[in-house]
Amino acid sequence: MLTLSDLVVSFGGNKVLNGISCTINEGETVGIIGPNGCGKTTLFNCISGLVANTSGTIALRGVEIQALEPHERARRGLGRVFQNFGIFREMTLLENVLLALESNTSVISGFLPWSKKTKGLSNEALSYLEQVGLAAKANEKAASLSGGQMRLLEIIRTLALGSDMFLLDEPTAGVSPRMKEDVASLIKKLQGLKKTVLIIEHDITFIQKFCSRVIVLNEGVIVLDDTPEKVRADSRLKEIYFGSDAA
Amino acid sequence: MSSLFEILTSDYGIHLAILIGIYLILSQSLNLTFGLGQLFNLAHIASYAIGAYATALLSTETEASFAVCIVASVALSGLFAITLGGIALRLANDYFSIGTLAFSAVVSALLINWKSVTHGVLGIAGIPRPVLGVTDFYQNGWFLILLLVFVVIVQAIFYVLMRGRFGRTLRALAEYEQAAATLGKNTSMIRNFAFLFSSAAAGLAGSFFAYYLNYIDPSSFSLQEMIFVLTIVIVGRPGSFFGVIGATIFLVLLPEPLRFIDLPSAYLGPLRQLLHAALLFGVVWWKRDTLFPTQRKV
Repeated sequence: MLTLSDLVVSFGGNKVLNGISCTINEGETVGIIGPNGCGKTTLFNCISGLVANTSGTIALRGVEIQALEPHERARRGLGRVFQNFGIFREMTLLENVLLALESNTSVISGFLPWSKKTKGLSNEALSYLEQVGLAAKANEKAASLSGGQMRLLEIIRTLALGSDMFLLDEPTAGVSPRMKEDVASLIKKLQGLKKTVLIIEHDITFIQKFCSRVIVLNEGVIVLDDTPEKVRADSRLKEIYFGSDAA
Repeated sequence: MSSLFEILTSDYGIHLAILIGIYLILSQSLNLTFGLGQLFNLAHIASYAIGAYATALLSTETEASFAVCIVASVALSGLFAITLGGIALRLANDYFSIGTLAFSAVVSALLINWKSVTHGVLGIAGIPRPVLGVTDFYQNGWFLILLLVFVVIVQAIFYVLMRGRFGRTLRALAEYEQAAATLGKNTSMIRNFAFLFSSAAAGLAGSFFAYYLNYIDPSSFSLQEMIFVLTIVIVGRPGSFFGVIGATIFLVLLPEPLRFIDLPSAYLGPLRQLLHAALLFGVVWWKRDTLFPTQRKV
């Protein structure tokens, strides 16, 4: 589904990603781990078009997308969930989901706030919020939500966008242990819908719940790409996190 | 009650109502870009000037009809927005404001120095009032009715723009542009359209301003005027449709009681500016935490 070939991203001569090559298959859930500053978020930014790659190619279903704008990539099915919460806090929960739903309709459709189309979209947005237990707060500002609820809203909003590939950047960051279970359930739901999911996460135990494959990044290159069990057992993982003495 | 009615229907009351009507179009259009979109556009007054000069020149030089003047004013101001947006919207944050200020300064310099067209500081006099069929609008009462028709249409259009999906997307862009882009929103197109709508409406306001005063010169389109419109949007709460309507009425009427104070005219003008400055400073100070939120980034 997604093929990265020799992807390089440089910031002022500093290669943050240095020749990333891998293929993510349709319906696969892949975890991406690595120490801070190894280029995980930059990789997601590059795939979603927020950062331009210096060289290399990104192909989505066989079509190169590296020259496309972020909104064009989103319309091709790339959904992004941000580490620092990509929700619009000054808007209501309903408006947050409406924004995603409206991207799939023509510009004229639902232009009038009181049109039937807008009401139809509002009902659809409510049904998405019901799926994560947030329908009762539909008309409250998103800023009033807890970290876990914000994360649920962001993921369900990406589902409403119609994305078939999810880039989840640390979905449990800022989320309470109890809400982590709700986030995990939602990710499992995405798997049930045969969505392709890429998860950046520090908690390898959390990743093991969903991923059949884990990619380990260090200093902008892929060091390991294997099953979670094999990655966990590999001495290079400890070396990356704790230095050569630990291995 | 009857005295209030007398004031409202007097020449003075109608004059104030016309000013309110013109400023309603001008401030609501700035509210779309600056209030909702957080685009600190300082060239809004240049769009207003372009609209006013287009009407003034066409109606005096070519005796163009009301419809032609209105359409030309709106179209030229819209064209200005496309040019300005194409360049300035590539700049971020403060640089964008400086860019729009530069554009405004260029327009201002052209109005003063392109004397063969604009007549420089002498301005353009003898702008005829609109004529529609057998009806002319030389009486201010009739002119007010004509203006009100346009005010209602423009406010309705901006209400739909601000409360509907367009306004929602613009608000999303203002808060977190990157998140909006990853939701399939064409950020540059949305901003350019916001600029286009806003500037075209400012051109319409300029056209009515020229028609009303029968005379325009560059001093009517100074930075001071820009600050006044900005004050309206800030006092009304940026992004608030009805807040800006209320603030327009309040701020146009605010200095009026000063007329009845026995003060030399040399003091009245500066006093009016002082009042606006104090109000602007007060609101910005009071609402400093929420007025200009920082855009979030990855």
